[in-house]
Amino acid sequence: MEYKVSLGPQHPALHEAISLRMTLDGEVIRDADLKLGYSHRGIEKLAEERSYIQNIYLTERICGICSHSHTTCFTQGVEQLMELVPARRGLYIRTLIAELERVHSHLLWLGVAGQESGFESFFMYTWRDREVVLDILEWISGNRVHYAMNTFGGVRRDVDELQKKKILDSLGLLKKRTDYYLNLAASEPTFVGRLAGVGKLSRQQAIDLCAVGPTLRASGVPMDVRKDDPYAVYDEIPFEVSTADSCDVLGRAVVRVKELIQSYHIIEYILNNLPAGPFKVKAPRKVKPNEVYSRYEAPRGENVHYIRSNGSEKPERLKVRAPTLANYPATIAMLKNGFIADIPLIFAAIDPCICCAERLVQLDDVRGGGRVLRFSELRAMANERAKKIDYTKKDIAWPF
Amino acid sequence: MNPETILAKIQGDLAACIQDAALVAPRRIQLKARPEQLTAVLARLKETFGIAHLGTISGVDLGENFEVIYHLSNADVTVSVRILTPRRDPRIPSVCPVIPGAILYERELQDMFGLVVENIPDPRPMLLCDDWPEGQFPLRKDWKFERPAEIIPGGK
Amino acid sequence: MIERLVHWSRVKSPWVLHLNAGGGCNGCDIEILAALMPRFDLERFGVQLKGTPRHADVMICTGAITLQNRDRVLRVYEQVPEPKFGVAAGACARAGCVYRGSYHTLVGIDQLLPVNAYVPGCPFRPAALIDAVVKLLNSVK
Repeated sequence: MEYKVSLGPQHPALHEAISLRMTLDGEVIRDADLKLGYSHRGIEKLAEERSYIQNIYLTERICGICSHSHTTCFTQGVEQLMELVPARRGLYIRTLIAELERVHSHLLWLGVAGQESGFESFFMYTWRDREVVLDILEWISGNRVHYAMNTFGGVRRDVDELQKKKILDSLGLLKKRTDYYLNLAASEPTFVGRLAGVGKLSRQQAIDLCAVGPTLRASGVPMDVRKDDPYAVYDEIPFEVSTADSCDVLGRAVVRVKELIQSYHIIEYILNNLPAGPFKVKAPRKVKPNEVYSRYEAPRGENVHYIRSNGSEKPERLKVRAPTLANYPATIAMLKNGFIADIPLIFAAIDPCICCAERLVQLDDVRGGGRVLRFSELRAMANERAKKIDYTKKDIAWPF
Repeated sequence: MNPETILAKIQGDLAACIQDAALVAPRRIQLKARPEQLTAVLARLKETFGIAHLGTISGVDLGENFEVIYHLSNADVTVSVRILTPRRDPRIPSVCPVIPGAILYERELQDMFGLVVENIPDPRPMLLCDDWPEGQFPLRKDWKFERPAEIIPGGK
Repeated sequence: MIERLVHWSRVKSPWVLHLNAGGGCNGCDIEILAALMPRFDLERFGVQLKGTPRHADVMICTGAITLQNRDRVLRVYEQVPEPKFGVAAGACARAGCVYRGSYHTLVGIDQLLPVNAYVPGCPFRPAALIDAVVKLLNSVK
């Protein structure tokens, strides 16, 4: 007997609008389909009506979690069009903010993963420590969410010695807390058991479906724009690309935790090697006709902006492809033949940022007859299933 | 492999179906293809060079024509393959048989530019709302939006 | 007597529904969650975040309403039992922010629903949200 179940567009856990329609055979998902468009805001059209400097403000508001990703991607693209060499100190500060943003985004994700797997106190812990990162960002930029740091030719605010010291102090605290979480998660077999083997995505599938970011890297493909196509100052900073071979949600968690640690190292390196000099240079207002394809490694994966200029103050075309959109085909592949109780976990594992993806997806009540499942019920089901897992399995272990 | 070698190899290998291949910026290769040969070019890039990751597909309205650009990348280089399609009969072939991950980008092109993607596995509209009028394509340059008058609560 | 009891409990412990109207940038949603986290702890005022509109007294709306989401937002609002209060949180919900002039959004929540309180900021700080909730409750008293 086949059921059709649809989730969204309003559901309490994701806080954003997407609709997911699934064909079920008992508890097993046979087919899944996404309905997008609930968050389409027409940013690409709006960008054509604004000048370049106004577009920094607009691109920042594509997404609230990775706001710096979009502005950096846009800014470095336009700088190439302007044939402008940004100030080196500016580039370092830009990278510093980018890495702080990655830390805050990954901490946020770890909390959500904890919540979806029924580990609520973990959620509260990581979100408390996320506030530390937000405080650092506030010291530097004056804002908690939209930092407004980028401008053509560098950044808008400098980092002074006192701030540097404060950041390093806070970083020490964060490192200690991250180590604590690692041990906590590693010694908690229910958590590891819940994540292992869920949402399989093979290496070949990941490549074919053009997945990006931690989703791709957890399938054993070491693709990281920071290494492959270095922008800003990543070619000067030593770091490793984090990968995992388990192809499941556990792998994605491992990749993110490894990236957290790498990010701490990068931030320390930047603060200790911050070059002196100006933090921004003057930029022209008009841009020669040309085009550029700008890539950036956002916390969720490769972020892409295609910008074409026409010689005026406004861009001819701005095309934005956020990482979440690239991960949707892979998500559908992960959901197929999985259990309905694993949906929240699989969906959360790509770290969906729906407003990002659509610039331009909630789980809701069933339309057209069928059972209504609320996300809270789903999560209860998921937790129920987690209780049945055999934690004596020897082969599952937290890899740290 | 460095970008120059890849460019030389592409020029040698695909000479019959591409024009104007050039290295326009560090690690950025651009080339032109004819729409009917697009899938062959992409398949060749994927098999011979491992350039399989489709970043995105950008559409640009050039007035007489639409330009559609496929941005592909691997660990060394990003290749932008561009094709032109006339405005009065905008048709492009679907690349989903070669790159299954292209489906959402192709559906987006259909919605925003009104391009007809031939043999697309899933032709449903994706982004615009359910009651969006037929034949309106927001990213075309001649499409303008008039904001309706606002209601001011409490009325002034 | 029962009415007074209901009123008292409503003021002392409002249950809140958080609704993303679609066309926002997500920053406000994160800040609402941050307001419920240990640092700001909105729950000490008795405010509890609920998942379903049928349990809620106050609906906090973030983001500009997208055309696709318009009917869904209305449906959710209608499910909230009377008396209900609408809060437009963030610049997009108040007047559209950068999405003003977009073909796929309405400029502000108040074009569609009655709004009792506006929270300014892009995004607002969690403290501003707490202030809005407290002011709203004082006005209900």
